[in-house]
Amino acid sequence: MTEELDLTTLSVEELYEVMGDDLYDGYKEEVVEGVKEALSRNVAPYDVLTSGLVAGMEIVGNDFRDGVLFVPEVLMAANAMKAGMAVLRPLLAETGAPSVGKMVIGTVKGDIHDIGKNLVAMMMEGAGFDVINLGINQSAENFIAAVKEHQPTFVGMSALLTTTMPYMKVIIDALKEEGLRDQVTVLVGGAPLNEAFAEAIEADAYCRDAAVAVETAKKFAAIRRQRAAAS
Amino acid sequence: MKRRERRSRRRDTGSARGVPAVIPIINKLPFTEVLDDNGVQAIHQASMRLLKETGILVIDYPPALETFRKHGAKVDGEMVWIDEDTLMHFVQQAPATFSQLARNPTNTLTIGGRNTIFAPVYGPPFVADLDRGRREATLQDFHNFAKLTQMTPYLHAAGGTLVEPQDIPVAERHLDMLLAHITLTDKAFMGSVTSADNARDSVTMAQILFGADAIRQTPAVLGLINASSPLRFDDRMLGALEVYARAGQAAIITPFIIAGAMSPVTMAATLAQQNAEALFGICYAQMLNPGTPVIYGSFLANIDMRSGAPCFGTPENTLALYAGAQLARYYNLPYRSGGNFTASRIPDAQAGYESASTLWPTVQAGTNYVLHAAGWLEGGLISGYEKFVLDSEMLGIMARYVQGISLEEDDFAWDAFAEVGPGNHFLGSAHTMRHYETAFYQHQVFSMDNYEKWEEEGKEDSYKKANAVWKQMLKNYQAPPIDPAVAEALNAFVEHRRAEIRAGKPRSDWPG
Ligand code: B1M
Repeated sequence: MTEELDLTTLSVEELYEVMGDDLYDGYKEEVVEGVKEALSRNVAPYDVLTSGLVAGMEIVGNDFRDGVLFVPEVLMAANAMKAGMAVLRPLLAETGAPSVGKMVIGTVKGDIHDIGKNLVAMMMEGAGFDVINLGINQSAENFIAAVKEHQPTFVGMSALLTTTMPYMKVIIDALKEEGLRDQVTVLVGGAPLNEAFAEAIEADAYCRDAAVAVETAKKFAAIRRQRAAAS
Repeated sequence: MKRRERRSRRRDTGSARGVPAVIPIINKLPFTEVLDDNGVQAIHQASMRLLKETGILVIDYPPALETFRKHGAKVDGEMVWIDEDTLMHFVQQAPATFSQLARNPTNTLTIGGRNTIFAPVYGPPFVADLDRGRREATLQDFHNFAKLTQMTPYLHAAGGTLVEPQDIPVAERHLDMLLAHITLTDKAFMGSVTSADNARDSVTMAQILFGADAIRQTPAVLGLINASSPLRFDDRMLGALEVYARAGQAAIITPFIIAGAMSPVTMAATLAQQNAEALFGICYAQMLNPGTPVIYGSFLANIDMRSGAPCFGTPENTLALYAGAQLARYYNLPYRSGGNFTASRIPDAQAGYESASTLWPTVQAGTNYVLHAAGWLEGGLISGYEKFVLDSEMLGIMARYVQGISLEEDDFAWDAFAEVGPGNHFLGSAHTMRHYETAFYQHQVFSMDNYEKWEEEGKEDSYKKANAVWKQMLKNYQAPPIDPAVAEALNAFVEHRRAEIRAGKPRSDWPG
């Protein structure tokens, strides 16, 4: 039940608060309205992104992690976030604002488990990342092609089988061979993996679950931004 | 006289050799059903509609598309649609009951009818025990679980991937696992399904063990073929299935569904989808080789809507398990489902309750083949040593339960009533003396000690008790004798294949 609310009467801070509530409730159109209203007040698109959408989704993420929200609710929230992002994306590009980050993610070759990977993709999108979900059974060639095409900041790999885990190393080696390894942060996950395995294959980090994947990606993105600012 | 009889009976159980004989399970009880005939029909019709209208996606495996097309299904790209008449024409060719060879002929299985077969846990990459906690599984662990399986009278089959031996290179692992099954147990085993080549190796090893003609007559290898739900099969599974079907070996066709993610949240839709997927795989096996022995599989968990993890032992899973059995019976097919499932990481109260909540319906549904009957922990990520022992206790209880209530003259114990009369106890009556050893299930792990005794003896809970039990079982273990010539031939094949694989050869050029 949403009572009619006149967005034009709200301050920007109040707008963000409403935006947060709308994200939480998965109200796509309302989020888009909120974003447009904020933009009409000449707020920088980057500010709408970080103080509005990302901040709102952080609460969603936290409540998911703490077992308050259900998966379908988070999916609705992420979709609402995506709708808001669609409005902001061209403006962000125009103003040269730093993007939250872009991830190419897939389940590696020989492996068709994708529920966990899709959950990660959903949470990443929810946190404002652009996500290119390659799907299951993805070869090194496909990962390389996607990295070349989309120029992501992150490569996410998922494997649920001990028999397919070693293939992650094949992909990392291929990235190296193509001279792409330094451009991307490689995050890996899947139930049978652990920190030691991620280290052994020279991934940048192992992510235990979707919430940790988002936290880890944010951490790496912040480091990147700091580096970019410093250089 | 009586005493001598008893002693000889003891010898019969084989306990003197330390390896107890397998106790077959034939369910004498009425099966629990949750659907009436109309309900079964409704699910059947919904499945037919799914197969005809929605279709099945077959990824990366053109040979299967060709097979379906050739046999009258509609194929477009990687999509296959099939109508009821075509489908059922093939499904009907699958046998209602079949045998699977075991190295020890007394362990040869009859799969179907009122038989229930228990097989150990399958697939976990980790093992855990009380002493060392959770760790990556090794070949040594695989050997241990094979030995424990051999030592457990209520496990009728040796199973398959008891653990994933992570210390062995992926490409050769299946060889070591098969060799272990064949040499360390004398029960029927499962073949590799991780690729068509590995399936072929499994068949070759069975040929060496039993003879090529023998396994043509009666299958010796059972493959676990999973649908990649929703409404999708992949090249690995169909490739392995093709190898087994063409070689006349058996397969379990299981849509492994985590409802809510891999199927809709409602059980009607989930059952219809599961049924469509299972029948599609079964139909494919019959198209390849009419009469291929198959088991109609169901593995139904539901998603935890708060984390995405699979849940076990839920009321919805239980209902679906019963309904799946009814559907399998409707098609005259053996049924695989259930096990001792839990999401818990250690054999705690959650593990106990969840496991019991799946094992009871598994048995009461009349399930014919029960994978994961012992050792399952953390949603299938861990093979637990203590859990294995505790689960086996429950299997023993089930073995007794399915015998039902015997109503013979002697069971009414008229002589005991005459001897004891009102107000006295029956502990010393002749009737009791005749039956006390077998009248009640004898617990192996669960303790009935009173508090003081339990306290005095170190307050061991069942977890700790089970720890001592599996260690003792490994000590008592004796390898079943094998013909040295056969063992030598098996070793020769394994080493030959290993060398081939290391040289990058995908397919065996072993004669035969
Ligand atoms: C940045 O990048 C990142 C970051 C984090 C990432 C990430 C990527 N990916 C994951 N994460 C992390 O975040 C996610 C969200 O919190 C988490 O993802 P998870 O995926 O862990 O969690 C999900 C939300 C829920 N979990 C799952 O969805 C997986 C559950 C289990 C039960 C499972 C399922 C469902 C399936 N299976 Co499979 N299956 C099992 C699984 C056992 C288990 N309990 O894990 C496992 C993994 N399977 C196994 C096996 C053996 C198999 N399976 C197979 C098939 C299937 C199904 C198709 C039936 C189905 C998958 C359907 C699908 N669409 O995904 C076969 C292989 C098929 C293939 N080629 O891949 C087959 C070989 C079985 C067979 N004989 O047919 C075992 C693996 C053993 C091994 N070798 O390691 C297994 C442990 C179960 C078992 N005991 O048999 C984190 O890991």
